[in-house]
Amino acid sequence: MDRAIVVDNLVKKFEVTEKAPGLTGSIKSLISPKKKIITALRGISFAVQPGELVGFIGPNGAGKTTTLKILSGLLYPTEGFVGVMEFDPWKRNPEFLKQISLVMGQKNQLWWDLPAIETFELNRAIYEIPTRTYSENLKELVELLGIGKLLNTPVRKLSLGQRMRMELTAALLHKPKVLFLDEPTIGLDIIAQQKIRDFIYEYNTKYGATILLTSHNMDDLTNLARRVIIINDGRILYDGAFEELITKFAKEKLIKARLSNENNISDLERIGKIKKLSFPEVVLSVPRSAAAVAASELLQNFPVDDLTIEEIPIEEVIRKAFKGGSGK
Amino acid sequence: MRKYFHIFKISFEEELAYKWNFILWRFRNVLQIFLTYFLWSTVYSDPTRQIFGYDRTEILTYVFGIMIVRALVLSAKAMSVGNDVASGDLSNYLVKPMNYFKYWMTRDIASKALNLIFASVEFAVLFIILKPPFFFQKDFGVILAFLVSIILAMLIYFLILFLLGSIPFWVPEIGWGSHFLVTVVIVEALSGSLFPINILPEVLQSIILATPFPYLIYFPVQVYLGNITGWALFGGLLIAISWVGVLWTFLNVVWQKGLKVYQSFGG
Repeated sequence: MDRAIVVDNLVKKFEVTEKAPGLTGSIKSLISPKKKIITALRGISFAVQPGELVGFIGPNGAGKTTTLKILSGLLYPTEGFVGVMEFDPWKRNPEFLKQISLVMGQKNQLWWDLPAIETFELNRAIYEIPTRTYSENLKELVELLGIGKLLNTPVRKLSLGQRMRMELTAALLHKPKVLFLDEPTIGLDIIAQQKIRDFIYEYNTKYGATILLTSHNMDDLTNLARRVIIINDGRILYDGAFEELITKFAKEKLIKARLSNENNISDLERIGKIKKLSFPEVVLSVPRSAAAVAASELLQNFPVDDLTIEEIPIEEVIRKAFKGGSGK
Repeated sequence: MRKYFHIFKISFEEELAYKWNFILWRFRNVLQIFLTYFLWSTVYSDPTRQIFGYDRTEILTYVFGIMIVRALVLSAKAMSVGNDVASGDLSNYLVKPMNYFKYWMTRDIASKALNLIFASVEFAVLFIILKPPFFFQKDFGVILAFLVSIILAMLIYFLILFLLGSIPFWVPEIGWGSHFLVTVVIVEALSGSLFPINILPEVLQSIILATPFPYLIYFPVQVYLGNITGWALFGGLLIAISWVGVLWTFLNVVWQKGLKVYQSFGG
């Protein structure tokens, strides 16, 4: 098998019923519902080699999640060709399903009222994992994710970060060859996000699983994905090395700070370009390499209550790279 | 096969996870039996009184019989299918190497098994306390026919629930409404759950007997009471089997179409 994932001219259309706002709208939609066709994917093509870690990035509604859902067999392609490990995902062959895993940041697969270990045991049965293999896999995952003490706690009592780690464990017990991660860090605090990213990196290095990761947050890709595919409005705008994207179109980072008083506020210009200033919030843009220095200067010379360093939003990268990006 | 045993086990555990919920549920059941018994005992306070051709013994047997049959047939986890479809939780199941129908059937069986265990205990205890005039079937052939009709009833209800659960593929909003309409209104009225079907005028009876609903409660109970025998029994079972066949085929068609239209909301 030379390519793990092949997508050729994939088109996906949805039919949705439009409802005008308000009560009149509701009544109208009962009597004569207005249907609209939404094109989520407008003919995308790409291929992924076994063991690659690819970041799929784009604004909300760009089509990333739709792509993952088609690749895992959940949605039916309107047009085009899709092949994952030489299976047609839509046929949902059990042999295919045993080798993939889909983790959606917003969707739980864990049984809510029972300890996570019960869902793990259930998955062992569903995926027909031999007992010895299951114990080994579980042990490794527990170690990598640090969840040993939480195995017997009912899932509803876990924090979001802990639950996410449990979800990942449940999804990886059967050592899938292809892993689809949809917004795995959404809603998590910064530390939890980094833990998840570290884990994904380690997992990819250690087991050579093909990983397709979606996000609308550029931070998810830094130090993680070597290759990134930018998708916007159902089209692929960029497919290549992450480094190149950064050097060309994301030369800057953003420093967001919250100040406790307004003294010397005009002096902020010395540190970086002021993108937004409405006391107490200030957003500065600084060259990537100077970000750490600029941040420390800011902390030393100004009354800072809170500070974060972030990547510029993907929308801006797209705007810069493709001058408007929607390509209509 | 082992995977379904596991689903059975975890279903059991989930129901017992909320201890108080469970205890209250059983308490409610017992209370319901008490109330029904006293209601009908009062209506038939004169033991020789006959209403619609049923005397006290017969109506109390019918009432208690319904309770047991209801516990077996109408307690079904499969009512959550519509919710899975509307919310997009279905996606979690589709992505696993597991048959979704078999999954729900296993969960149903687990729920019914749990129900049966407790209902039997409660029935035994109440029987000793209330000593209702209940008719115990002794004919082995009848008992066998009764068991077959119960299994068919469970299958029919399962398929009906699954079909209702498929509606959200096309119209997510009416999921609850349509479910309520069918299970609470139609099933209660036409299944023999509220009253024996044969107290209705002939014309109405024939119409109702052409639907699958009376095969859920009325038919099994009458079989148990020995009121339907011979060719009528054989014919009835055949009709029930046909309903299973028809509904199953229909479900498969609807489900395939539904999956194509499925939008997998959320996440």
